[in-house]
Amino acid sequence: MKRKVMWSFIILCGLFVLFSYLSKLDFVITVGTQFFSVFWSMIKILPCAFILIALFEKWCHRETVERHLGTHSGVKGYLWALILGSMTIGGLFVAFPLAFSLHRKGASLKVIFSFLGFAGVCRIPMTLFEASFLGIEFTIIRLCTAIPIMLGTGMLLGWYLEKQNYTIRE
Amino acid sequence: MEWGLTIITLIALFISFCCDRKKTKGALMMAAKRLWKITPLFLLVMLLFSFFISAVPQSLIQQTIGAKSGVMGLLIGLGVGSVALMPGFIAFPLCAMLKTQGVPLYLLAGFSLALMNVGVISFPIQKQYLGWKVAVVRNIIGFLTAIIVAVIVGIIFGEIIL
Repeated sequence: MKRKVMWSFIILCGLFVLFSYLSKLDFVITVGTQFFSVFWSMIKILPCAFILIALFEKWCHRETVERHLGTHSGVKGYLWALILGSMTIGGLFVAFPLAFSLHRKGASLKVIFSFLGFAGVCRIPMTLFEASFLGIEFTIIRLCTAIPIMLGTGMLLGWYLEKQNYTIRE
Repeated sequence: MEWGLTIITLIALFISFCCDRKKTKGALMMAAKRLWKITPLFLLVMLLFSFFISAVPQSLIQQTIGAKSGVMGLLIGLGVGSVALMPGFIAFPLCAMLKTQGVPLYLLAGFSLALMNVGVISFPIQKQYLGWKVAVVRNIIGFLTAIIVAVIVGIIFGEIIL
């Protein structure tokens, strides 16, 4: 069923583009031209971005990194939080359960909140996508500003909550 | 520059292929499957975008989210990013499309960061794990981060002149 809807939609798009070139309506021609130019620029980037992400996921396993977190303290703990945060696939819906299990394993709240911050700003699949579409300079600037902020606020929040005997719920 | 990404991808594929044929094949299959899955959604976004760009007068776009939109434009970007629930594989291509229409990078930075770090709609899930107070604080931090990064991006790319 879903396949059918999908195909009919694609065909509809194709017909629309065709119609726009055959018809003499100004507005339809503008839309068609616009669609074609967008389509062409996207088709150059999209497959590359997806291939890079797939390669990354095949070669790097989150579980390997997960084992390290919670066992290290100090700078090493934050470094692993950064690595794990950047390897989180699937966004916050994956990050929260992970944060909970790390909490149970004894990772400090400072490390956990830094991890949650990192998971929001530097997930590698997302970053690959961003760099592909908005340029590598943009991504570098964003990472260089967002990572220190997330580290600082994560530490601060964790430090404050540790004094309050706070726990993450499941 | 235009083909830089393609070249990088080909190099990565080549190295991966030399190390492990099976894994590389698996990765290609995975990429193809995902690409196939998002195709209809993607076409829809492109179609709506084309309609939007053609129907809305250029001057209005420039005024609201263009290079001269200023603080108001940034706030619109942040606001939409905070409320919207959009996967990144749609959001960044959309950003790239908007960029071609003269939407400044700082606005796109604000939008994409708010999208990833502020979740008004996903708030109930955050609340469930972190509790009400901490979830609010984290969203505020995310929002402020989006503003700071947007401003820095704007300054570095010369879009915001102090």
